[in-house]
Amino acid sequence: MDLVTVNGLSKRYGGIVALSEATFSARAGEVHALLGENGAGKSTFIQILSGAVQHDGGSIVVDGQDYRPANPDAAQARGIAAVFQELSLIPDLSVEQNIWFRHEPRTWLGTVNRTQMRLKTLALLEKYNFPALRPDQELRRLTLAERQIVEIAKGLAKDPRILILDEATSALPAREAEWLLNLTRQLAAEGRLVIFISHRMAEVRAIADRLTIFRNGSTVAAHEADAVSDNEIVTQMIGRHLDRLYPERVSTATDRIALGVKGFSSGSRLSGVDFALREGEVLGVGGLQGHGQRELFQALFGATKASGSIELWGKPVSIGNPRQALTGKDGIALVPEDRRGQGLLLTKSVRENLTLSVIKRFTENGLLSRQKEAALVKEMVDFLRIKAGTPEQLAGTLSGGNQQKVIFGKMLLTQARVLLLYDPTRGVDVGTKGEIFQLMRDLAAKGYAILFHSSDMPELVHVADRVLVMRNGRIAATLEGVHISEEEILRAAMLETRAA
Amino acid sequence: MVMSVQQTVQMAQRPAKTKPTKPAIDWRGRLLDRAPFLVACLMLALIVGIYGSLQSGVFSLDELNLDTAAAMTLMLAATGQTIVLLRGGIDLSIGGMISLGTVIAATRFTDDASTTALWALIILALGFLIGALNGLLISLLKLQPFLVTLATWSILNGIAMIILPTDGGSIPSWWVGFASAQLLGLTSPVWMLLALLLFWWWFRATRVGIAIQATGSNEKSAFLSGVSIARVNLVTYGLSGLFAAGAALFLVTQTGAGSPTIGKDYILPSVAAAVIGGVSLFGGRGHLAGTLIGAFVLTLIGNLVFVLHVSSYWQPVASGVILLLSVLASSVAEKAARNRAQ
Amino acid sequence: MSAFLARNRLIVLAYAGMLALLLVTALFSPGFLSVSNMRSTVVLAAFVGIVALGQTFVIIGGGIDLSVPWVLNSAAIIMALLCGGQDLPLVWVMPLLLAGGAFIGLINGIGVAQFGVPPIIMTLATNVILQGLILVLTGGSPTPSAPALIQFLSVGRLSGFPVIALIWLALTLVATLLLSKAAFGRHLYALGTSATVAEFSGVPTARTTILTYVISGLTAAFAGMLLTGYSGQAYLGMGDAYLFTSIAAVAIGGASILGGSGHYLGTVAGAMVLTILTGLLPALNLSSGALLIVYGAVILLTVSIGSETFAGLGGRLRRKEG
Repeated sequence: MDLVTVNGLSKRYGGIVALSEATFSARAGEVHALLGENGAGKSTFIQILSGAVQHDGGSIVVDGQDYRPANPDAAQARGIAAVFQELSLIPDLSVEQNIWFRHEPRTWLGTVNRTQMRLKTLALLEKYNFPALRPDQELRRLTLAERQIVEIAKGLAKDPRILILDEATSALPAREAEWLLNLTRQLAAEGRLVIFISHRMAEVRAIADRLTIFRNGSTVAAHEADAVSDNEIVTQMIGRHLDRLYPERVSTATDRIALGVKGFSSGSRLSGVDFALREGEVLGVGGLQGHGQRELFQALFGATKASGSIELWGKPVSIGNPRQALTGKDGIALVPEDRRGQGLLLTKSVRENLTLSVIKRFTENGLLSRQKEAALVKEMVDFLRIKAGTPEQLAGTLSGGNQQKVIFGKMLLTQARVLLLYDPTRGVDVGTKGEIFQLMRDLAAKGYAILFHSSDMPELVHVADRVLVMRNGRIAATLEGVHISEEEILRAAMLETRAA
Repeated sequence: MVMSVQQTVQMAQRPAKTKPTKPAIDWRGRLLDRAPFLVACLMLALIVGIYGSLQSGVFSLDELNLDTAAAMTLMLAATGQTIVLLRGGIDLSIGGMISLGTVIAATRFTDDASTTALWALIILALGFLIGALNGLLISLLKLQPFLVTLATWSILNGIAMIILPTDGGSIPSWWVGFASAQLLGLTSPVWMLLALLLFWWWFRATRVGIAIQATGSNEKSAFLSGVSIARVNLVTYGLSGLFAAGAALFLVTQTGAGSPTIGKDYILPSVAAAVIGGVSLFGGRGHLAGTLIGAFVLTLIGNLVFVLHVSSYWQPVASGVILLLSVLASSVAEKAARNRAQ
Repeated sequence: MSAFLARNRLIVLAYAGMLALLLVTALFSPGFLSVSNMRSTVVLAAFVGIVALGQTFVIIGGGIDLSVPWVLNSAAIIMALLCGGQDLPLVWVMPLLLAGGAFIGLINGIGVAQFGVPPIIMTLATNVILQGLILVLTGGSPTPSAPALIQFLSVGRLSGFPVIALIWLALTLVATLLLSKAAFGRHLYALGTSATVAEFSGVPTARTTILTYVISGLTAAFAGMLLTGYSGQAYLGMGDAYLFTSIAAVAIGGASILGGSGHYLGTVAGAMVLTILTGLLPALNLSSGALLIVYGAVILLTVSIGSETFAGLGGRLRRKEG
């Protein structure tokens, strides 16, 4: 008897179909993995299950009864709790206040019963063998990994029959990730259903009983985990052969060093990084998340303070802020991690976004020349094939892929020839991904130097000329040629240090 | 020799015994968290110290009674403001509510205790309803609290001016006498001060209080956790209006009359008192104890200026400087805390 | 053209409201549309408009300036004191006081941009400090009358046009150029929309922030001197009303209090609306209390209309997210 049965589930956002005719079924007592590319519909699916959004069509049956929660509270009342990537924690409350938020045990005065809350917290943490957490510590003092663990505890505090984990391991260090994998088995053994989303095949293999594969807003297949091979899964996820996504890798690197970095340190996350990025090269930066990649990119761009020396095209420079980084022909430009929070003015037009960094260039006697601006904007929109009605369309109304193209355009207009690309394909549709990779190769061929980080390891493997693997804020290894593979990157990221 | 991904993962995840060692308490971090509050305490101690060394009889119950009475209107107004700031908003309309409250009291209160009590209750209810209306406008129309409460301030002020165009009216003497009523040597303002602290101790531990703080700390997270933002706004601004009405009822014991313009003198000082006491303008952080100390600081500066025999016009200068100093102190502490976190 | 209307809907609405208000006023008091009455309305609106110029820049940049009243008042009083009714000292007093206003703005800006003090607190503090210092300076007593030259600037006429209206027109032109035609304007809108994105795009965020407060200090000081000419004398508290009206004018003109949108041209309409209302109510035999109620209602109405557009946009954004 299935605990959850979903039939013909559909969800549209305006004109965009996020989910169409999805089917799904899962039993109590199993770990059920959801697989699929970004934008395949997994997120929408679990948002519907958890009550965060409501479906347009189709049916969900939980425990033999129709299920259509109006909000997360209603979902929890039916025993369904979700742990999203976007955490729902309150920075100014303590760990235990967060865990029991809105469900605190109370005294007769209506106040929180602290003693009972502490006992319940300790019991919960012990029952599921949680990594060490101080219940009274304020949340904002915790690391991202610790917060993720608190979020899991918050989900479990509701004693759900169905627990949804959305890439919960991605923020966790190895040891905690392993704890979580064990936890899912323990929960399944207790008769609960765990719906587990992960991009790490090894994890899925380690814990999943069954798996459902999403593609383009629908479910394409469901399998018993041990009845299907990795290759079949990947093929079903992508729906076509891998190679076509990536352009042919022809190295165009010269001997000239575009960006030389020595003894680069920033805070506790980045300690003594040395590397050289050459003209015409795409240099990948990999490793497990949270090992200094973000800090490296931000510090190189001047967004955070750092020590150490930087040479640009052979000249020593000091970069105190992004403005200095972007200045002049020998600048450094960045495609930032957070497209909506750092990259784009969502309520401003494509034109205003494209020219924001270089607006001074269109002034004559202090006044802007709209013609000059419009001409260059048009050129860039055509060059990158940005699909906007007019350049006056607001950036926030573009699709993710086109938003990313606007950010690329903004970066290219600066004339900087050292480009820092931090996870540029995140949340971007497959078609645009291919265009972005092609663009990177084209730019490299023109003599640009590109530092490229991706959270998706295959991208590094297929696009980068060399890959720096980071671990604990250092370069743990530099991989070249045939040594660039997911296995090698993982090994360097997790295991022994090799001579660079 | 290349290992498979699976082997690699397994090697990296050597069975780890989760060690239940308790991390040490982060004393410095906690100290930094409370730095703005501690700075406020220090300022108050300093002011009281100087004041006491220049004037005899400062460290007496009489002085406490006097100063608390002088500060109580601001304290009541600032209590409401503190709740709003904790929510991450601001309430400028309390100025209008205070004016409105005093003119209603000055025109409706009589020697008949039951009539007066009824009107007092009406003023309090009006305060809550008008505040709740602010909250409703803010959440339903998705408007900025600053502008909404600026507009309602103007409207309330206008109504007050229509009811009583100039300062005047009368307050029955028994109501005025309430402010000097004593119990165990302490006057009613001191008891009210204690009641405010008791209220805070209770309110902050209720689910509603926690939800308000949580919403101010991170609105999106609170929403994702199932908090009804509309209800939070309703209660937050409703309470602010209620306390403003309370401030008006107390204020008339000090002035003995109604005034359609007096309320504006409490709008920004109520924010200042909270900020001096370490309440964050960005929401989620702060305690009423800090606000009350801030209100004492702002009130006692006046006394200090008086005993120093300098022009009373130095009082606004001193309060501005103190305000800046305390904000700078908290911003420095914030930076230090953030650096430690990294 | 339709794109222009769509983009500047709120500003167009502010002007439409202004015209409608003029018509209504004309119905109730036929004399209102007379040349002399319009002239005095524009003169009064000019004071609000000039103070609100700086406020507009600060609000577009995502801040707020509460120090306006006492910057205005300080300039007025110090000018009257230094000139002692004579024209000649104005040659150095005016530049000095404009520099003084700019300096207060600089302090506000540095506090906000470099030390991270919330704008409300920073400008509130400078306001009370200035208030105290001026009170100490004057001992609370009134000051000598205003020099004739400054009276000419505020109430004089040039071939029939009020001089101050011409000054206002010139300032409007400068502000419009700065907002629409200069790199500074682009930087300012970016800063107000998202300080992080602006910083990541190489916008000089600190400099831009500071500049907005400097402009606000300048316009407040300038308005203070002109206002002294208008009333013939500087007096304590003459700037108090301008805190509310400057913010109200910006809000009615269609700017978001969160920053990133709005234009001085809208503020001009906002200043006119507020001033026409002041003239309308006596015609209707309404008290000053009623005026405050109408002010509040107008602000609520305009921000509600503004919020609708944002809600609509928000809806569009949210739909794209999925």
